[in-house]
Amino acid sequence: MAADTIDLDLTLRWPEFTLQVAQSLPGRGVTALFGHSGSGKTTLLRCVAGLERPQGTLRFKGRTWQDAGSFVPPHRRPLGYVFQDANLFPHLSVLGNLRYGMKRAGRGSADISAIVELLGIGHLLERKPARLSGGERQRVGIARALALQPELLLMDEPLSALDIKRKQEILPYLERLHNELDIPILYVTHAPAEVLRLADHVVMMGGGQVQASLPLREAVALPGTPLFAGQSHVAVIQARADEASEGLRLLQVAGQTLRVPEDACSSCQPGKTLRLQLAARDVSISLLHLPEVSINNQLQVRVVDIAPAAHPVNVLVRLELGDGQLLFAEITRASRERLELHPGMLVWALVKAVALAGDLAA
Amino acid sequence: MFKRCQHLLIGAALALGIGVAHAEKVTIAAAADLKYAMADVAQAFEKTHPDDKLDIVYGSSGKALTQIQQGAPYDLYFSADIDYPRELEKAGLVVGKITPYAFGRIVLWSTTLDASKMTLQSLASPDIKHIAIANPKHAPYGMRAVEAIKAAGVWDKVEPKLVYAETVPHAAQLVESGNAQVAVLSLSLVLNPQIASKGKYWLIPDKLHQPLEQAYAITKHGEHNAAAKAFAQYMAQPQARAIMQRYGFVLPGELK
Amino acid sequence: MSLLLTAEDWQTIGLTIKLAGTVTLCLFVIGTPIAWWLGRTTSRLKGPIGAVVALPLVLPPSVLGFYLLLAMGPYGFIGHFTNWLGVHPLPFTFWGLVVASVFYSLPFMVQPLQNAFEAVGDKPLEAAATLRAAPWDAFFSVALPMALPGFLTGGILTFAHTVGEFGVVLMIGGNLPGETRVASVQIYDHVEAMEYAGAHRLSAVMLVFSFLVLLGLYAWRPNPKKA
Repeated sequence: MAADTIDLDLTLRWPEFTLQVAQSLPGRGVTALFGHSGSGKTTLLRCVAGLERPQGTLRFKGRTWQDAGSFVPPHRRPLGYVFQDANLFPHLSVLGNLRYGMKRAGRGSADISAIVELLGIGHLLERKPARLSGGERQRVGIARALALQPELLLMDEPLSALDIKRKQEILPYLERLHNELDIPILYVTHAPAEVLRLADHVVMMGGGQVQASLPLREAVALPGTPLFAGQSHVAVIQARADEASEGLRLLQVAGQTLRVPEDACSSCQPGKTLRLQLAARDVSISLLHLPEVSINNQLQVRVVDIAPAAHPVNVLVRLELGDGQLLFAEITRASRERLELHPGMLVWALVKAVALAGDLAA
Repeated sequence: MFKRCQHLLIGAALALGIGVAHAEKVTIAAAADLKYAMADVAQAFEKTHPDDKLDIVYGSSGKALTQIQQGAPYDLYFSADIDYPRELEKAGLVVGKITPYAFGRIVLWSTTLDASKMTLQSLASPDIKHIAIANPKHAPYGMRAVEAIKAAGVWDKVEPKLVYAETVPHAAQLVESGNAQVAVLSLSLVLNPQIASKGKYWLIPDKLHQPLEQAYAITKHGEHNAAAKAFAQYMAQPQARAIMQRYGFVLPGELK
Repeated sequence: MSLLLTAEDWQTIGLTIKLAGTVTLCLFVIGTPIAWWLGRTTSRLKGPIGAVVALPLVLPPSVLGFYLLLAMGPYGFIGHFTNWLGVHPLPFTFWGLVVASVFYSLPFMVQPLQNAFEAVGDKPLEAAATLRAAPWDAFFSVALPMALPGFLTGGILTFAHTVGEFGVVLMIGGNLPGETRVASVQIYDHVEAMEYAGAHRLSAVMLVFSFLVLLGLYAWRPNPKKA
């Protein structure tokens, strides 16, 4: 077993539900535990935290947290846990909540101004949780877990109790977290949008079992993937921000260039790596490069395969960029036949709209 | 149909009324320690007066006094302390004479030691850790116990060992449960069949304490109650006196 | 003002306060683990034990006092225990009253505490565990502060209930001045001896005192609306 992974072999039997998971999860980046309610994802998270006592073994980067003969209780595991409803201590102020774990982790006097700034809670420190909004409470909950400098961050649907506005407010913080922290994060969610924006690895769960455990790019490419549940596939690719000219920001991907309105990407500094979401619906295929067309973004790609789409009249074409990243295009069967598309062909992907994770509105 | 019901009702009422006119009910307030003695006397009385019914309420004589002063419907009042009927007399609530039925006597009693061989001096012994008496503040037997102990010259040694019960039976209970070794009780209580078998007693000489005259009287409420008068007279008869003596309610000259 | 009551009466008031205070403190210590267990267990014993704890609510005090008198005496199991410990027997002593009052006032402490602990629930304690707090630590730093209103209610009820205690004290106290003669018994004795004026005065003082205590405690309760 590699010393950089989280190895689980756990069974938890309840009267009406059994969790059975044997997986090796990545020891870095964000791993989403994705599934419907009742799929066991939160239970699995709690098992990793030690809040439930399953049978089996659990090893974190080579250290045994649980096996047949031993069980490390949650307060001795170097983790941070963010609860679904923040779960702040009502009798302590925000600062008190932050310091609670810090004192016990031997970091009583550590400087947490970076975390406070990261989550934008500096002006809330003296308040009691009862006087915070839902979004503020959630941010404090995240800060409280981070203040411990945990080696593993566990997040249980941190956005599900919030309305859309709050969700949009916090997602950037979570993305910042992801980019600025070096620790593994296990992120439980049932929202595909969150997976697309945050995850590097996806574990899909149902009925207490793991159905698939894949890197994100493969998870989105999975035919009939539950991530999209019958809706149009979305490809997630990484691009690098470049200079801006004539009101347009240039993004470099796989040696090619995309253009988006400059003011739609407020924090796109040159050199910064960005996550882009491209819906299959928004991608058309041309056999030729078309300079006389209004669509600015044209990427040269190779057809990997063609599969039925959710809608019976369409097909989903999987396209590969020069650096191996994948795109999808959803087109009619008729078009596919007319263009005589087949795997291996070199074609052009015309991208009508690009959504940028975190900084651009869709 | 309705007319017939009316006739029936009137007929019934008349019958009841006539019935009531012949039998008489007497309500009696009696000191708590009279329970067994009075029951026997009442039974004997009812045999010779089959039409009269006696309804006896047992309780603290002091409480009964207060109740009678407030108009409680007792026809006869048997008090463990003659001072109480005398108070009623002052208020004009007594009819006829106040008649003594006993002079209370106190005894030493124990379930673990042989009290029949003791005297008041024995109470000073270090073997005896607690002595239970009725609270002298309001229980006449308790007051007499204190007088007797003082008269016997052992008050200083005995007083620290005293524990105060609310009533004489409560004091007996403290001994029965083993928490006190000796109690000063009333003679009537230790002759009570429930208590008699449990321990031995020593009769404290009555010259060591004030007399505890216990007396009864007919109240204003019972003024026109013929049965009440009959029972009051019956109490002085030899049959009734024999029963009372058996239970320890003695008049001077009747016993040791 | 101090001549309003006799010295004897003042002594009984002092003793009453001492008794009620001692019993409340004892029950904080004894009642907390019982309430904690009852508030969190899923064991089948929860019902029966909860019912036993609640018994003193329905038992007539004199019944309780009667059985305690037997139990504390030389033939009873508590008496055997004190004997074995080499300790002075409990009846007719202040500590005997404390032991009896602990039984008598138990549900008044346990029930509010149990409700408070139930209201705390599991989640805050899980949060504490994920923040490196060991179980005892979590109890004292999270559960206890969150259950504080329950402690206040339990303390007030226990104190007030013990001040009013009569039947039990009467049975096992022996009415000894300075040791077991509490105010409630003193008032009763005044009435029995028909010293009604004394009874009125002492009752009035006790009433005013109790009211002031309750007023002070209720006014001090933390108001959740104030941040």
